[in-house]
Amino acid sequence: MQGQGTSIPGNPGRLGLSYAPIWRQLGKWGGFAMLALIYFPLIWLILLSISRNPLGGIPGTFSLEHYRALFANSAWHGPMLASLGIGLGIGLICAVCAVIVGRALPTLHNPGRVIFLFVIPLFVPGMSMGAALFIMARAALGLKLGFWSVALGHFVWAFPFALLIVLVVTIRFDQRLVEAGRDLGASNWRVFWDIEFPILLPGIVSAALFGFLMSFNELMRSIFLRGTVETMPVWSWIQAAAQQSQVPIIFSLASLVLLITLPLLCGVFWMLFARESRE
Amino acid sequence: MNKMPDSMTQAKPATGTGGRSLRALRARLAGVNLAVSAILLAWILLVIVPIVVLFVFSFFSTVQFRTVYEPTLDTWIGLFSSGRWEVTLRTLRIALTVTLFELAIAWPFALWLAKGCRSQTTRAVCLAMLTIPFFLDMSSRAIVWRAILGQSGLVNTILTGTGLTDAPVEWLLYSEVAVHFGMIVSLFPPMVMPIYLAITLIDDTLIEASNDLGASPGQTLMRVILPLSLPGVMAGVVFCLGPALAAWVEPGMLGGGFVNLISNSIESAYSALRYPVVAALSAFVIGLLLVLLGIMYLVARRFGDLSGSFRMQRS
Repeated sequence: MQGQGTSIPGNPGRLGLSYAPIWRQLGKWGGFAMLALIYFPLIWLILLSISRNPLGGIPGTFSLEHYRALFANSAWHGPMLASLGIGLGIGLICAVCAVIVGRALPTLHNPGRVIFLFVIPLFVPGMSMGAALFIMARAALGLKLGFWSVALGHFVWAFPFALLIVLVVTIRFDQRLVEAGRDLGASNWRVFWDIEFPILLPGIVSAALFGFLMSFNELMRSIFLRGTVETMPVWSWIQAAAQQSQVPIIFSLASLVLLITLPLLCGVFWMLFARESRE
Repeated sequence: MNKMPDSMTQAKPATGTGGRSLRALRARLAGVNLAVSAILLAWILLVIVPIVVLFVFSFFSTVQFRTVYEPTLDTWIGLFSSGRWEVTLRTLRIALTVTLFELAIAWPFALWLAKGCRSQTTRAVCLAMLTIPFFLDMSSRAIVWRAILGQSGLVNTILTGTGLTDAPVEWLLYSEVAVHFGMIVSLFPPMVMPIYLAITLIDDTLIEASNDLGASPGQTLMRVILPLSLPGVMAGVVFCLGPALAAWVEPGMLGGGFVNLISNSIESAYSALRYPVVAALSAFVIGLLLVLLGIMYLVARRFGDLSGSFRMQRS
C-alpha cells in the first residue's frame, strides 16, 4: 500500500519495482558488471595486440610490429579466404531460404511447429550437432569431408537466426498491400519485387549479415566437419592451443576481425532499430 | 547405471513423434509452396536425420578401430565406468553451477531491463551489447582471459602491486575457477535474452492490477512476474546449460588440461576414431538436456497452474 503512495504518477506498471530500490540497483549493476566482463577482454585484446610483448599480460611499449609480422606472414591467408568464401555463401543462402520460408510461414494455419522444427539447432549444443553431422557424413555415408561439410554445418547453425530475423519483418507485413498490387494488375513477380521486397529489405540484409557472421566465427562444428581443411577460427584455435610463438599474430588478427565485425553489427542494429522507431 | 535407460527412453519417443508430425506438416505444406517444402525436406535431412543417426550409432561398438554394426549396449555401459563417470559428474556439476549463477544474475537484470529501465536508448544499447557476443569468436576472447588471469597478468599485477598478496595467485588460471568464470561470462547473453523477452511480454496492466488489489511488491514479484517469466527462464536454461554441458573452448583454454569435461572425452574418442563413443557421448548430452528440460517443464506447469488459479480467484 505504501508503494502506491510513493509511486511515480503515470507509471503505475513499474510501481512494484520502485518499492525495492536496493534489489533493482543490484539487478541493474550485476548485469552491467557482466557486460563489462564481456567487453573488457575485447578492449584488452586490442591493447595487447599493439604492445611489444602481448604474452607478458600487461600492455606496455606500444608498437605495430605484430601487425607487420601478420602481414608478412601468409599462413593465415588460406583459412581467411576459406572463411570469407563460406561466410558469404552461407549469408546469401540463408537470406534467400529465410525469405522463402519466412514469407510462407505467416500464411500457414499453425506455423508454430514448423518454426520449432527450424529452430531445433539452437537447442542442440554445437558439439553434439557437429558430431551428429560428422557421423552422418563420414561414418554413415562414408563421404570425404571438406569445405562442403563445414558449410553445411554452418548453414544448420546460421539459418535459425536468419529465419527468426526475417520472421520479425514478415509477420508485420501487411498482406493487403499484396492484394492491392494484384488488384491493380501487377504480376506476382512485380508485386514481390516492387512491394514486398523493399519492405522486407532490412530483415533480408540483417539475415544475410547475421548468417555471414555466424559462419565466419563458427568453431565447434567446423572442428568436427573440417576433414583436413582449415577455416579462420580453426586456424587461430590451433595456433592458440599449441601455445606457439605465433600467438602475438593471433592477437593482431583477432583485433582486425573484431574491428571489422563490430561496425557491421552496429550497422545491423541501427538498421533494425531505425526501422522500429519509424513504425 | 540407473540413469542410462532413462535417457534412452527419453530420447526415442521424442524423435518418433517428431517424425510423425513432420509427415503431417509436409503434407499440409505441399499445397502451400514447392520451394518451402523443398527447404523443409532438406532441413529434415540435415538436422533431424543426423540426430537420429547419432542415437542409432551410439548402440554400435568399436573393435580395433572399426565400427561393428550390431546393436549392443557396450558403448553406453562404457560411458558410466572407467573414470568417465567422474568426468560426467564433473561436467554436470560445473554446468549446473554455471547455470545457477547465470540465473541469479540474469533474472534481476532482465527484470530491470524489461520493466525498470526508463530510458529507451539505454535499453536498446544494452540489448545490442547482449546480442553482439553471439557473433564474435569465442576462442579469441578466451585467449585474452589467459593474459588477464595468468601469472603475470592484469589481476595478479594489481594484487601484488597493491600488496594484497605477496606472490601471484596461482589458481586464477588453469583451474576449475577459471573454467567456471570463463563460462559464466560467455553464457550470460543467452540466459538474459529469453528471460528479457518473457518479461517484456508481461502486460503492465497485470502488475498494476496486482498492486491495486493490495499485493505487496514482493507478492507481485513472486506470484505474477515470476510465474509469467518461467517460459523465458526455461529457454534461458536450455541456451545456457546446453553449451555448458558441451563446453570445449573454456576448459581447453582456461582449464589448461587440468579440467576434463565430456567435450574432452568426445574429442579424444573422435581422434581415436571411436565413432560410437562420440555418438553416445553427444547423445548423452542431448538426452541430459531433454531430461532436465522435462523436469523443468513439469515444475513450470505446476507454477503455471498456480498463477492461473491466482488470476481466476481475483477476477
